[in-house]
Amino acid sequence: MPEEAIKITNLKKDFRINESHPGFLGSVRNLFSRKHKIKHALDGISLEIKKGDFVGYVGENGAGKSTTIKILTGILVPTSGEARVNGLVPHENRIKNAKRIGVVFGQRTQLWWDLPVRESFDLLQAIYEAPEPAFQRNLEYLGEVLGLKDLLSVPVRKLSLGQRMRCDIAASLLHEPEILFLDEPTIGLDLLAKDSIRKFLKKINAEKQTTILLTTHDMEDIDYLCERIVILDEGKIIFDGLRDDLKRYYGRTRVVEVEFREENPPLRFENGVQIVREENRKKWISFDREKHNASEVITYIVNHAPVKDIFLHEPRVADIVKTIYEKVS
Amino acid sequence: MKKYLKAASKSFQKQAAYKVEYFVGLLNGLLFIFIFTSLWKAIYARSAPETLKGPFDLESMVTYAVLAMIIKISFSMDDNATSFKMRTGALVMDLIKPVSYYFFYLAESVGYSLFHVFSRGIPLLAFSVLAFHVRFPTEPLNYLLLVLSGTMAYSIFFNINYMAGLLSFWFIETFSFQLMKYGLFTLFAGGILPVDFFPDSIRPLVSLLPFPHIFYTPTAVFMGHSPPGGARLAMLAQFCWAAVLSVLSWLAWKAAMKKLVVQGG
Repeated sequence: MPEEAIKITNLKKDFRINESHPGFLGSVRNLFSRKHKIKHALDGISLEIKKGDFVGYVGENGAGKSTTIKILTGILVPTSGEARVNGLVPHENRIKNAKRIGVVFGQRTQLWWDLPVRESFDLLQAIYEAPEPAFQRNLEYLGEVLGLKDLLSVPVRKLSLGQRMRCDIAASLLHEPEILFLDEPTIGLDLLAKDSIRKFLKKINAEKQTTILLTTHDMEDIDYLCERIVILDEGKIIFDGLRDDLKRYYGRTRVVEVEFREENPPLRFENGVQIVREENRKKWISFDREKHNASEVITYIVNHAPVKDIFLHEPRVADIVKTIYEKVS
Repeated sequence: MKKYLKAASKSFQKQAAYKVEYFVGLLNGLLFIFIFTSLWKAIYARSAPETLKGPFDLESMVTYAVLAMIIKISFSMDDNATSFKMRTGALVMDLIKPVSYYFFYLAESVGYSLFHVFSRGIPLLAFSVLAFHVRFPTEPLNYLLLVLSGTMAYSIFFNINYMAGLLSFWFIETFSFQLMKYGLFTLFAGGILPVDFFPDSIRPLVSLLPFPHIFYTPTAVFMGHSPPGGARLAMLAQFCWAAVLSVLSWLAWKAAMKKLVVQGG
């Protein structure tokens, strides 16, 4: 039994993209000849994820996140390199691998549109060959925690997005997978729904030791959930480490939000302290944590201008990721 | 195995969810049976007597038209499923499940068809018995042959549709292929025209195709009508086509998986 839930070694995936000739004559030419371009969706990534880890997999559109998940679920065959999930090579053992993982693609559903939720679950039980007592126990547990009681008899096509997502997450966990892949599970959800899903994921990771790989654009998901963060850019891993380290190393910039009593307070900043945003009487002042400490900056401000209100902001993962991307490109 | 049985039963249930669709479908069936039986009656009434010495007399012709139409209505599947899933990227959701795509699709199609057998085929048959002179076979053997030949026919029908659907892995737009398939089905499968009516010069060629074994052969062996070359030869050919097409489907899936670049997402 390998200790790593997921082990990826120098994985590459190339796609061949058809390029169309432009214009009307071009479209006629397209019937007979096509230009091709090779896109390196994954350009040699290596990654190890241990059992019970909760990893945030971050990157812009087209960075290669979904491609990675599709390789790990056995849908895509890598161009070179190796991926192992629970010790199995996914595309060679798609069905065997599928029984031991759960997958949620936020923009799609694995339920059947025309069937009531309960019937979909029933079919999933047969598909995953989940034993009756364990399945019923899981259904009861998930139904309780995700609040599915009133949804079970509703046909899937009549569910709201938030309801459908809760059902989809339940569906991915009914067979007690060892690893859960989540691709944008909170996309398009309102704050309340996001919050309940985040709490649930944290709980299931802690209680059942389910390994979770989460892909999302919502940095608050990552901030709240993932201890470890992997950042991907153009098919390469540009950061792999703990969230706290990420904040420590890259999040040296702190921001003080100040609301002044007058329009133009007589303040002069230098040595890395600067105003980064202004909004009427509010100003956001950033400084380097290594060079100044917060009290020093705040004392200066308070002594030189009348202040109505003041906040000190923690660095947000979203801002850090943005700075990392800016440095890379 | 249990998962595929369950898939078939859920697919059966799914069909039952749309009541209006069901009644409109039933009405369509009645309409088509009425059109074709009327057509044959008109043709027979105006034909020279020597034509009537052909392979079917009027009563067996009407029987053929009714039975072939009912088999045609019973054989139903969502033949657009693969290309739709390919286009929208929803295919991913099938591939993340621990099931064989082929057998799961087959199970869903069988469930779909069984629903049509019970909900449309049998009521239409009952109606036709009352409305027209349909001559039923009295030998139990014919009913056994119907089940056997019908099963093989369904396998041929499914595999052709399955492979046509897989074309969408290579070509995003497969509408023209589907049209061609419908054309071949309409012309050669025997849902409308029995193979016996093709001119002598091309009848042997048509008999070599897989298409006549979809609606023509099961209808003929059930009625006790001898297909060209005899019932045994026809059913043997049916069996061979079902086996060959199943193997081709398997190979086509292997090739398709190699080709796969899921759209979107």
